[in-house]
Amino acid sequence: MSVAFSVQDLRFKYPSAKEDTLKGISFEVKEGEIFGLLGPSGAGKSTTQKILIKLLEDYKGSVKYFGKDLKDLGKSYYEEIGVGFEVPVHFSKLTALENLKFYSGFYKSKADIRELMERVGLWEYRDKKVGEFSKGMKVRLNFVRALLNKPRVLFLDEVTNGLDPKNARIIKDMIAEYRKDGGTVFLSTHLMNDVEQLCDRIAFCVNGSLVEVSTPRELKLKYGKREVKVEYNENGNLSTAVFSLDGIGENEEFVNLLKSKQIETIHSGETSMEEIFIIVTGVELNERTEAV
Amino acid sequence: MSVLKLFSGEIIRLVKYKILPVGVATTAIWVAILYFLEPREELYLAPMFIFIDVGAMSILLIGASHFLEKQEGTIKSLMVMPVTKREILISKTAASMVLALESAVITAAALYFIHKITLNYALLFLFVIIAGAAHAAIGFVLSLIGRDFTSMLGIMAAYMFIFTIPSIFYSVGLIDEKYKYLMMVSPSHASNELIRAAVSGEYETGLIIAGCVYLILLAAVLFRFAVYPMFKDKAVRG
Ligand SMILES: Nc1ncnc2c1ncn2[C@@H]1O[C@H](COP(=O)(O)OP(=O)(O)OP(=O)(O)O)[C@@H](O)[C@H]1O
Ligand SMILES: [Mg+2]
Repeated sequence: MSVAFSVQDLRFKYPSAKEDTLKGISFEVKEGEIFGLLGPSGAGKSTTQKILIKLLEDYKGSVKYFGKDLKDLGKSYYEEIGVGFEVPVHFSKLTALENLKFYSGFYKSKADIRELMERVGLWEYRDKKVGEFSKGMKVRLNFVRALLNKPRVLFLDEVTNGLDPKNARIIKDMIAEYRKDGGTVFLSTHLMNDVEQLCDRIAFCVNGSLVEVSTPRELKLKYGKREVKVEYNENGNLSTAVFSLDGIGENEEFVNLLKSKQIETIHSGETSMEEIFIIVTGVELNERTEAV
Repeated sequence: MSVLKLFSGEIIRLVKYKILPVGVATTAIWVAILYFLEPREELYLAPMFIFIDVGAMSILLIGASHFLEKQEGTIKSLMVMPVTKREILISKTAASMVLALESAVITAAALYFIHKITLNYALLFLFVIIAGAAHAAIGFVLSLIGRDFTSMLGIMAAYMFIFTIPSIFYSVGLIDEKYKYLMMVSPSHASNELIRAAVSGEYETGLIIAGCVYLILLAAVLFRFAVYPMFKDKAVRG
């Protein structure tokens, strides 16, 4: 399988910033995978995406797109990539359909707008001005816009931010399908849910550096504790006991507990991705305050 | 091809965002005023009305559309389409030209229908394009310097104070005629002179040629060394 992006020692400093925002990061995005860039707010995820989509140019280090230097690529690059920005961007006085038709008009390869809009539940609102859309509707439209050219690589920045669980599910299913059809996804997010359900590989970005590049499974094996937590009723009081998952069938204490006590709950306590995030990055997740 | 699509997108937005209708409305006010004037006064005021549309309204309209787009983040979305920044700028400039020409066409039509005054339309068309290009460039520079629409209006007021007010002083005789070539340094004054020449048919050839050359050079230099690099830089961040 070929490598979609090969990033070597990428450094970037905003003109107004005192120190480097990206402090030399290296990673590869393989063709056909969903690569998640994860990290706390201000870590540099969106900055990294902006460099890969050639919005920010004065970076140091090398970025290769299917073996070609990003700096040598012209506007045809944009025929191949689809970009979902962090904050939805549309012409608010135009309708949803007018927006999509305008953007679609510039591409050689065109996706079926109606099919995409139906899928995300926006077709019936196609003639409504985007300025009158709810936040979640804008997010969905933003996602459709990114798919208009049937891109080879899809960039998504906080793609499910502001969506209800049902719509988030639809978008995630579409991303998974897109990958199944051979697409490559670069996903930046701080939502562990997205990452766990979608990503083949994850890079943790903290304060402009990558601290860990791994798979969700490996992370769980590395950082996860495998245990079972049992809550039971002991003379009217709630008590808790914790057992190792390994050899649990032979664990007499555990089996006796199940036999003799009134059990209230049993949870297998694999470390959640959220806890892993905190362990790896040393930063508490603060998803709510991030919602724009 | 891309330029045409971008251009038609610009025009559709100028209409939907009520920018073009506002432009037409101001021209309609000029027409109403012309209706009540004597032909002699008209020939004096009509060029000024066209100049206000070309030289001031077009700057305002470029600013308004720039900050609307900035607010909506749509410039950024165009930057990830298979179009170049040059194409985006060309289409925006062409769209602002439409505003300038709209004013010239309506005013010229009003002169004809109200008082049967005809003029050299080809010359007017050419001069409006030249003055329009220079003022589009100025409009972009002022918009790109300004942080928001309000600060851009402040910068524009300063610009008018330096360049437009002296031109008005000159035309009412407060500035001596011996400074007529020096006055051409003001893009406002040069544009005003060109439009007046086309409408009245009376002009000093040397002065008019100097004005044309100056405005064309000014537009070229501003686009190449100010608008393009600043646009590149700002579009990403905006
Ligand atoms: N245009 C800019 N000019 C100067 N500094 C910037 C600019 N944009 C971002 N930064 C700074 O760069 C750092 C990284 O920002 P970036 O947007 O990449 O973070 P992020 O990881 O995407 O965060 P979030 O999860 O909040 O979206 C932050 O410290 C931010 O303040
Ligand atoms: Mg971000």
